[in-house]
Amino acid sequence: MALPTSRSTDASTRASRHVSRRASRRASRHVGEGITAPALGPWGRIGLTALALFGLLPVYWLFATAFMHRTDVFAADRPLFPVHPTLENFRAFFDDPALLRALGNSAVVSTATAAVSVLVSGLMAYSLSKFRYRGRNAIMVMFLLGQLLPGALLLVTLYLMFSAVGLLHTYTAVVLAFTTFTLPLSAFLLKGIIDGLPGELIEAGRVDGLSNTAILFRIVFPLITPGLVTAGMFAFMRAWSDLLFALTLAGPDRQTLPVGLTTAFIHEGAADWPALMASSVVTSLPLAVVFVALQRHFVSGLAAGAVKG
Amino acid sequence: MTITTDPPPVRAVDRTPRAAARPRSAGARDRTFGFMLAAPALTLFLVVAVYPLLAGVATSFYDQSLIRPERRFVGLDNYTAVWPDFVDRLGTTLVFSGLATVLPLAVGLALAVLLNARLRGRGLLRGALMLPWLLPGVVVSFLWAWIFNDSYGVLNHLLSGLGLPEVDFLGRPATAMLAVVIAKTWNSFPWVMVVALAALQSLPREQLEAAALDGATRGQRFRHVSLPHLAGPVALVAMLEFIYNFGSFDMIFVMTGGGPGTSTMTLAVSLYRYAFTEFSLGRAAAMGVLWLVSLSVVCAGYFLLDKKLESR
Repeated sequence: MALPTSRSTDASTRASRHVSRRASRRASRHVGEGITAPALGPWGRIGLTALALFGLLPVYWLFATAFMHRTDVFAADRPLFPVHPTLENFRAFFDDPALLRALGNSAVVSTATAAVSVLVSGLMAYSLSKFRYRGRNAIMVMFLLGQLLPGALLLVTLYLMFSAVGLLHTYTAVVLAFTTFTLPLSAFLLKGIIDGLPGELIEAGRVDGLSNTAILFRIVFPLITPGLVTAGMFAFMRAWSDLLFALTLAGPDRQTLPVGLTTAFIHEGAADWPALMASSVVTSLPLAVVFVALQRHFVSGLAAGAVKG
Repeated sequence: MTITTDPPPVRAVDRTPRAAARPRSAGARDRTFGFMLAAPALTLFLVVAVYPLLAGVATSFYDQSLIRPERRFVGLDNYTAVWPDFVDRLGTTLVFSGLATVLPLAVGLALAVLLNARLRGRGLLRGALMLPWLLPGVVVSFLWAWIFNDSYGVLNHLLSGLGLPEVDFLGRPATAMLAVVIAKTWNSFPWVMVVALAALQSLPREQLEAAALDGATRGQRFRHVSLPHLAGPVALVAMLEFIYNFGSFDMIFVMTGGGPGTSTMTLAVSLYRYAFTEFSLGRAAAMGVLWLVSLSVVCAGYFLLDKKLESR
């Protein structure tokens, strides 16, 4: 693509020089890539194929079964792909009032968890990043360690506690319990992002006479909106996927989709595998949507989670 | 886990004209404001994590049931009752978390190295290989329970197609553990892959080129340049993965429920059973305390390793 100005002067030589420069740049990049990203040999290709199949075939099987007729799935000469694709398994999901209610519960609980953890951890992240006070390090260490606590460990007391104050089997109990795990990750993710904001921005706000609160809501939060969205989505994903707390604290009316599916699965011994796979697809879909929206921030978010615990 | 040494505190306030008049009080006010920002998170965390942890220790000394309101102090009885179980479950948990850490690490690292190569459709493949990590634990469990199903599972279908004997993977102690570990591996290798890929791509190109100019072969470049660069992030992921696996509940609970027998009964599943199948909260809490102690040992190891890596 020649530059627009090239047409007014000596277009052809300009363009050709441009092309050749581009070609040489490409060549040099290839030499460099040979070192940083070498081509794969035959063994590399075999290994990659094998591992990629390990990663992808189960996903294929999930979808394939979800679209298969029950008669095909349980036939002796079972096909390995949906020869007569059907939506009957998905219809079974959407005809089941209990599962629909679980879907609704999942949406409510996960959204609320995301909202609470973003707000609360956003405030905390700003505090940890830009303020110095006694006990700040203690708070950080506590949250870092807290993130390593297994959920089952808190289960008994959470159950007794919520039962004592009459919160058992409510949305509130489930959201509060989920927040235990979403809070530290969100807080450290956001702290990392706020650390990157230059102090001059806040200084400028002060010079302009903005209050502390105004600086937070008019300067800091707007600037880190992508980070807030990422943290919210991570919290949403964790809440959506949790089994343990939802299983014990939510009760029959507030149970989320993973619980609804699990209890059905365990009680009925999963006679109806295709329906279960279809339900699994429905359960996973929101996360796929979130993932696509999140993709750009994904790696840095995961890496932050890894490094910061 | 790095507690970063932060840049010097923001003293912006001291330089503004308004603050200059009352520097000390403004600074104190700022610190108070800063603390107040952390207060909601702190309160929440104290209520839903720290308090339950401490109260759990107290519960472990009581005979307390889910189906009776009153409780009775029993001293160390709960501990002596659960001790044999704990030892057994700890072993199972260590086997599970060890295998479920090492295998994803191997798969994830191999994929990161292979996907770092020049390759058509590389981006697409990377994206698609994130799917296993994305799926909720219960979905992963259902999917693999279905694959491993003894009478209709696709794996046995393929085995018999090859003329091999069919195996009741989830119904036999030896294979049940392996089946859960494979499912868990499938679920968590993408995390390792992403972190290792990020590390590989942040590798300073000059170092690799310089090594190449000095005549280092591909293998040597990988061993002496890429690998040291990978070691830090990957070791941290490994430790975290181990700790998460140590408390992992959903996949084992759904796939095997701890069985057959107690062959896959990890601490998390065991604690759940004490509390919600046998209704014995005191014993569950005692199990939790013993668990916490063993987890602390793991964490201590983690911090020692972290220090070692940081001082390098």
